[in-house]
Amino acid sequence: MANFLAQFQTIKNSCDHLVIAVEDVSDLWPTIKNGFEERFPLKRAYLNNKTRNPVPVDNLPAVLILTTDARLRSRFPHEQYLFWFREPYATIVLITCEDLDEFKTILKPRLKLIVQNDEREWFIVFVSKAHPNNDQATKMAKKVYARLEVDFSSKKRERCCKFDLHRPEANFWEDLESKIVECIRNTLDKRVQFYEDEIRKLSEQRFMPESLAFMFEMAHLHEDALCEYDELELCYLETVNITGKQRDFGGVEHGDDQATLLNPGKKPLTQIVQDDSFREFEFRQYVFACQSRLLFKLNRPFEVASRGFSFIISFSKALTMHENILPFSMREIWVISACMDLIDATASNYNEGLAPLDIEKEFYRLQGDLYSLCRVKFLRLAYLIGYGTNMERSPVNSASLSMLPWPKPAVWPSVPPDASSKVLAKEKLILQETPAIKHFGIQRKPLPLEPSLLLREANRRRASLSAGNMLEISGSDAMSKMFPSHKAQTNSMTRTNSSPGLDSSIDRPMRLAEIYVAAEYALHSTISNPELWKSFSSVEEFEQKYLELTKGAADNYHRSWWKRHGVVLDGEIAAVYFKNGNFDLAAKSYEKVCALYAGEGWQDLLAEVLPNLAECQKILNDQAGYLSSCVRLLSLDKGLFLTKERQAFQSEVVRLAHSEMKQPVPLDVSSLITFSGNPGPPIELCDGDPGTLYVTVWSGFPDDITLDSLSLTLMATFQADEGVKALRSSTAIVLKPGRNTITLDLPPQKPGSYVLGVLTGQIGHLSFRSHSFSKGGPADSDDFMSYEKPTRPILKVFKSRPLVDLATAVSSALLINESQWVGIIVRPLNYSLKGAVLHIDTGPGLGIEESHVIEMESYADLTNGSTETVTNGALENGSSTVNKDFEQLTLHDGRIEFPDWASNMTSILWIPVRAISDKLARGSSSATPQRTNIVDGMRTVALKLEFGISHNQTFERHVYFLTLAVHFTDPFHVSTRVADKCHDGTLLLQVILHSEVKAALTIHDAWLDLQDGFVHADRGDGRPTSGFFPLVISPASKAGILFSIRLGKTDAEDASNVLESDSILNVRYGISGNRSVGAHPPVSTKHSATEDAKQDLVFQSALVLQRPVLDPCLAVGFLPLPSSGLRVGQLVTMKWRVERLKDFENEVPQHHDEVLYEVYANTDNWMIAGRKRGHVSLSAKQGSRIEISILCVPLVAGYVRPPQLGLPDVVEANISCNPPGPHLICVLPPALSSSFCIPLMMSASSSVFLRHSMRLAILALLSQTIEMQHGKYWRLICVKLVRLRFIRFLNQNVSGKQHL
Amino acid sequence: MIVCVAVVGHQNNPLYIQSFTDADDALKLHHIVHCSLDVVDERVNNPKKSGPTLNETFLGLLYPTENYKVYGYLTNTKVKFILVTTDLDVRDADVRNFFRRFHAAYVDAVSNPFHVPGKKITSKTFAETVSTIVKSFGLSSAG
Repeated sequence: MANFLAQFQTIKNSCDHLVIAVEDVSDLWPTIKNGFEERFPLKRAYLNNKTRNPVPVDNLPAVLILTTDARLRSRFPHEQYLFWFREPYATIVLITCEDLDEFKTILKPRLKLIVQNDEREWFIVFVSKAHPNNDQATKMAKKVYARLEVDFSSKKRERCCKFDLHRPEANFWEDLESKIVECIRNTLDKRVQFYEDEIRKLSEQRFMPESLAFMFEMAHLHEDALCEYDELELCYLETVNITGKQRDFGGVEHGDDQATLLNPGKKPLTQIVQDDSFREFEFRQYVFACQSRLLFKLNRPFEVASRGFSFIISFSKALTMHENILPFSMREIWVISACMDLIDATASNYNEGLAPLDIEKEFYRLQGDLYSLCRVKFLRLAYLIGYGTNMERSPVNSASLSMLPWPKPAVWPSVPPDASSKVLAKEKLILQETPAIKHFGIQRKPLPLEPSLLLREANRRRASLSAGNMLEISGSDAMSKMFPSHKAQTNSMTRTNSSPGLDSSIDRPMRLAEIYVAAEYALHSTISNPELWKSFSSVEEFEQKYLELTKGAADNYHRSWWKRHGVVLDGEIAAVYFKNGNFDLAAKSYEKVCALYAGEGWQDLLAEVLPNLAECQKILNDQAGYLSSCVRLLSLDKGLFLTKERQAFQSEVVRLAHSEMKQPVPLDVSSLITFSGNPGPPIELCDGDPGTLYVTVWSGFPDDITLDSLSLTLMATFQADEGVKALRSSTAIVLKPGRNTITLDLPPQKPGSYVLGVLTGQIGHLSFRSHSFSKGGPADSDDFMSYEKPTRPILKVFKSRPLVDLATAVSSALLINESQWVGIIVRPLNYSLKGAVLHIDTGPGLGIEESHVIEMESYADLTNGSTETVTNGALENGSSTVNKDFEQLTLHDGRIEFPDWASNMTSILWIPVRAISDKLARGSSSATPQRTNIVDGMRTVALKLEFGISHNQTFERHVYFLTLAVHFTDPFHVSTRVADKCHDGTLLLQVILHSEVKAALTIHDAWLDLQDGFVHADRGDGRPTSGFFPLVISPASKAGILFSIRLGKTDAEDASNVLESDSILNVRYGISGNRSVGAHPPVSTKHSATEDAKQDLVFQSALVLQRPVLDPCLAVGFLPLPSSGLRVGQLVTMKWRVERLKDFENEVPQHHDEVLYEVYANTDNWMIAGRKRGHVSLSAKQGSRIEISILCVPLVAGYVRPPQLGLPDVVEANISCNPPGPHLICVLPPALSSSFCIPLMMSASSSVFLRHSMRLAILALLSQTIEMQHGKYWRLICVKLVRLRFIRFLNQNVSGKQHL
Repeated sequence: MIVCVAVVGHQNNPLYIQSFTDADDALKLHHIVHCSLDVVDERVNNPKKSGPTLNETFLGLLYPTENYKVYGYLTNTKVKFILVTTDLDVRDADVRNFFRRFHAAYVDAVSNPFHVPGKKITSKTFAETVSTIVKSFGLSSAG
C-alpha cells in the first residue's frame, strides 16, 4: 500500500480545492459558466466534523469541473477510495428542455441514468432559456420544470432548481449555494464514515487517517485535520513500537542533520518510504511539520512551540537510540537546528499581546527553553572540538553539561591522516590554557563540564573497536594527559611527528588534541549547515553564537515567569563581557545575579558570583560598589571562604579605607558588625545623670580591625523623631574578631527608655554604619530579610523624682539659747549619695557651734519600714537610732562631705546649733492666758545637698535645696495668778510652770525678783521652801509654785537699784532629754562636762504683776440676740448696753457725757450697716445707761465670733463686762430663696452676668432691709424683681431706689 | 539515583540542601534547585494550570530535561522540598512516597524546640534520616 504514497503525495500537492462536477447534459455550461464560478469560494458553509457537529467554514473554495474534463475522467476506480478526497463532492446536472414530450422520452431516461449512481451527491439545475416576453415558451418551461420536480425531487430532498437565463430569480443563487453545500456536506459525511470504517478495518494502513486529515484540511476544517494528524502520529508510533521489526531509521543522508520539522515538503514522500513503511526519522518530522502547518494556520504558534519542544525532546531520545548508526553527533546538531527553526518560526508567527497573559508567559518560557536547549547542545559540540577552555565553569553550565552524556557513536572518529598540523595547533592551545584564576586568590575546584573524562570516553569507544589497551588510559595516566605535564607533552609531540596516521591512532590511545581534531573533522562532515559550521570555525565565532543563544534564552526567560533562569543566564553573559573587557555591562549583569542570590539567601551560589562582581567594580574603580562587595563577601557564611581569602577581603577594605578616596564613601556594614546592649536589665539612670554604656560589638572581620572612631545613637522609644542622641567614642577602637565590649560615656539624657539605634564610625576615610542588632552573637546570615528585630531598651532614664529626702529628726521644740543638736535625717531614695556635699546655712538667730564636731550616724526608721530597716542587722528593738555606723565630721566653710557608708542608707546628721534670743520670756496672767508666739521660736536652717553620679564637674550635679524650720523654745511657759488675797494684804501669787519641751525638767531652785511696788512677804528672799526642790516636771505637764508677796515699797537699799518694771522669775533647772526626741541637755563644749549632773541651767521669765482692778467705771453688756437665731443674709440688730457704774475719777477729764465706741467685726463674716465708730452720749450720772445697737448681716454660716464693742477711750481696767459677750454665735445657712440662687453655672464669658449676680445679691439684702422697714408689700415686689431679667431688673431697680 | 534533596523556606531561602554525588559539584545542584523554584513559583502563582492538583502537596515533575529530573513538593507552610534525580525512569508513586517520608522527617526536625523556624536545619539526626530515605528510594518498588 505504501506504493500509493508517492502518488498520494503528488495528488495531495495538486489538490487544494474541493471539486464539484458539472454534468452538462444540454450543452449549457459555456453560457452559464461565468455566472456559476463567480459564486466561489462559498462565503459561508456549515460542514460537519468528524463527530458530526456542524462547524462554520468561511470562504470555502471549490472548483467546478465538467465531468468530461480529463482530470475527472482519467481516474481509476481502485484509486477512488484512497484518494477520495479529490473526487467530486457534488454533481450539478445542467439541463434545459422546452418540450414536455422531449423531456419524457429523451431527457428523463438520460437523467435517470446519470443519477442512478448513489454514491454521488447530485442535483439538477433546470435552465430556462425562455425569454420573459415569450409567454408560450415560459409556460412550456414551467410545465417541464414541474414535471422534472415530480420526477426527481422527493419529499425528503429537493433536487431541482430552476435557473432563468434571462431573468434569474433572486433567490436562485442562494438556492444553488445551499444545494451545493448540502451536497458537499453529505459527501463529506459519507466519506468520513467510510474512512473511519476503513481505518477500523485496515488498522495497518496508517495512511488512511492522513487522507481523512487532508480531506479535513481541504475542507478548511483545520481542527479536525489536526486531530487526524495527531492520531496518525499516535498510530505510527504504535506501529513502530509494536511491530518490533528492525526498520531503517533514516537520517543518514546528507542534510539530515538539519531538522525538517517545519517543512513537510522538504523531502518527497517517495524518499522516506521503505519496505512498505516509512522511515521514522523523516516520517515523524513530516507529520510534525503537517501539524505545525495547521497550527500556524489556526494561529496557535504557542502550541507549535510547546509541541515542538516536547517533540524535540522525544525525538532526541529516538536519535539517541539510533546514535550508533547515525553520523557523529548527529543528535546534537539536529537538536540545534530544530530548536533554531522552531524559535524562528514561532517567534515570527507570534503576535505579542494577543494571547492571554499566562499563555504569553508560557510561550516565552518555551522560547527560553528552546534557546537554552540549543545552547547546551552547542556547548557540548564546542567542547568536543576543544573550546572547553573558553567556557565558564559556572553552576549553570556545569548543571546542564556535566549530566549530559557524551555522544555515543559506534566508533569514536579518528584523526584524519593529514591533520597533524591541526593537532599541533590544538596541542599548543591546550598548553596555553591556564586554569582560570579567581579573584582575591580564591581557589576552588572548577566545576565539571563533562560527564566523564572525554579522553577516557573517546579512547574507550575507540578501544572497543580495536584491541583493549585500556590499561594505558586508565587512572592517573589519563589525568596527566588531560593536563599534560611538560615532559609528557614533549613525549607525545615527538610521537605525533614521527608516526602520524590512522593506524597509529587506532593502536595507541588518542591524545586530547587528537580527539579534538578528530571530532572537528567528524562534525564538519556531519554539519551541512554552513552557518552552523561557521560558528565552530573559531573561538570568536563560537563566542558570538554562544552569546546569541545565551542572550536569547535569558531575554525570553525574563519575559516569562522564570526570572531566575533569566538572571542566571545574565550571569553567563556577564562572564563573556568580562572576558572581553566590557566590564560595565558585566558589572550590571553580575549585580542582578548577586541581588537574586542574596535576596533569597543562596549564599553558596552568591559566593561564586560575588568575587566576579567585585573584580568588575575594582576595575571600573567603583569604590563604593567594590567596598560593599568586599563587605558582602566578608559577611557571607564563614565556611564559604578560607580564612586566607577572607583576610584578603578585609585587607582590601582597609587598603581602600586608608587610600585617598575622591569622595568619602558611606558603607553599610550591618551584616558584618553587629551590636547589642549587654544582656540583663537596662541601665537605669535618673534624669540628668550621666552614665557609662557597655555595648557588645560583634565583628565579623577575620582579623583585628581598627575603627578610628565610633559612635552609637540612642533612640528614644517614646518618640521616633526626637531623642536620637549619638554617643561618641573618639578614641580608636580595635575590634577583635568576634565579641568585643566597648564602653561609651553617656551624657545625661531626657527621661524615657532608649534603644540602640545605629552604629557609625570611621575606618580611615571610610565612614561606615551598621543598624543591625544582634543577640550577642555574630550577624545572622540567615536573617537576610528581617532587619527589624524586637529591640530591648538598653537605657532607662527616669523622670525627675525626689532622689533624697531631708527632714528634721525632731519635731518638738529645742531649748533656746542653749547649744542643741539639730538632727537632719538624710534619706536617699534609691539613689546613691556617694560623694554628696551638704552646705549648711543657718538663718538669723541661729548659729552653728563650730567648735564642736558634727556627728553622723545611720538611722533606721521603724515607722517607714524601709529597706534599710530590714537589712540593718544591728537594729535594736524599740530604738529608732542604730549606731551601726557613726562618724564625726567637721564643717569646712559650711560644707560637710558625706562618708561613703552613708551613700545608700538613711542617716542622721547631728549638728550642734544655738538659737539666740535676747528677748526675755514673758509670763502671762492665767485669766487671759497668752501663749508666746510660736514664730518667735522658729529658726531656719538652709540646706543645700549636692550629690549625683557625676564626680567630675563636667555635668551639673543634683542639688537639693531645703530650708528646715526648727522650733526653739524656752523650757517653761509661766503664767501667774493670784491665788488668794489675804486680808492682811498678802497676795498668794501662784506661778504655774508649763513644760514646753518633751523632756523631763528638774527644777533645782526658783526665786522671784519682784518689781517695784511689790515686796516679798515675810521679808523672805523670794524662794519657796527648799523642801520643794528638786521638782521634776514631766513633759507637757505643769507645776505650780506659790510665792507670798504683798504690795509695798521696797527697802531703801533696794531703792538704789534701778526700778524694775517687771518681776523676774528665776528658775534653775536641769534637763534630761534625748536629742532624738526633743530638747536635751546642751551640747557641752567639753567632753568631760557632758556627764556633769551639776550642769544646771537658769531660766528667767518676766512677770507682769498688776495691781488689782478694784473700781470699774463702766459696764458693757451684750444684750441677747433674738431667739429665732441668726441666718445668713438676715439682718440682725446687735445691742450693747453701756452703764456707768461710777464716776470717772480722773481718766477721762473731758467729754463727761460722751463715750467713744467702736465695733470690731470681722468683715469677712459680718456686714455692718450703720456707724461703726462714734460717740454716744452718756450722762455722767452714776447709773446712767444707754444702748448701742447696730445692724449686722451675717455673711457666713457657722459659729462665728460676733462683733464686739470696744470703748477705746476708757482704760480696759475700768471696764467690766457684765454680762460678757459670747465668744461664738451660731449663724444658720440662708433660707432657700430665689434671691440667692446665684447662677454660677452660666458660661464663663458672661462676666457681666456675674457682676449682675453680685448686684442681685446685694439687692436681695437690700430688699430684706426694706422688708424690715416697710413690710411685706415691698418684699413681694423685690422677689418679683429678682426673678426678672437683668436689664429690666436694673431699670426697675433704679426706679425702686428712686421710690425708696 | 537521587543526587540532591533540598528544603527551601517559604521565602525561597535554602534551609537544607544535601547532594549525594561523589564529585565536588554541589554548586551545580544548588543551581538546579534554585532554578526549579521558578517552576514552583509558576505553579503556585498560576493555579489555573495546576488545576486539580491545587490542593495537593506533591507538585510532580518540575523539569523534564533530558538528563535529570526535578520533583517538587510544597507543604502547607510553603516550604518546598526539591528532589533531583538522574534516574530517568522514576515512578511517580515512589517519589510521592519519598516526599511523604521526607516531610515527616522535616516535621520532626522543625519540631525540635531548639530549631529556630526559618533558619537552616542543622540537625544531624535529620541529615541521617534524610540519607536513609534517599538510600531506600526506589527500593520498595524494586523489591
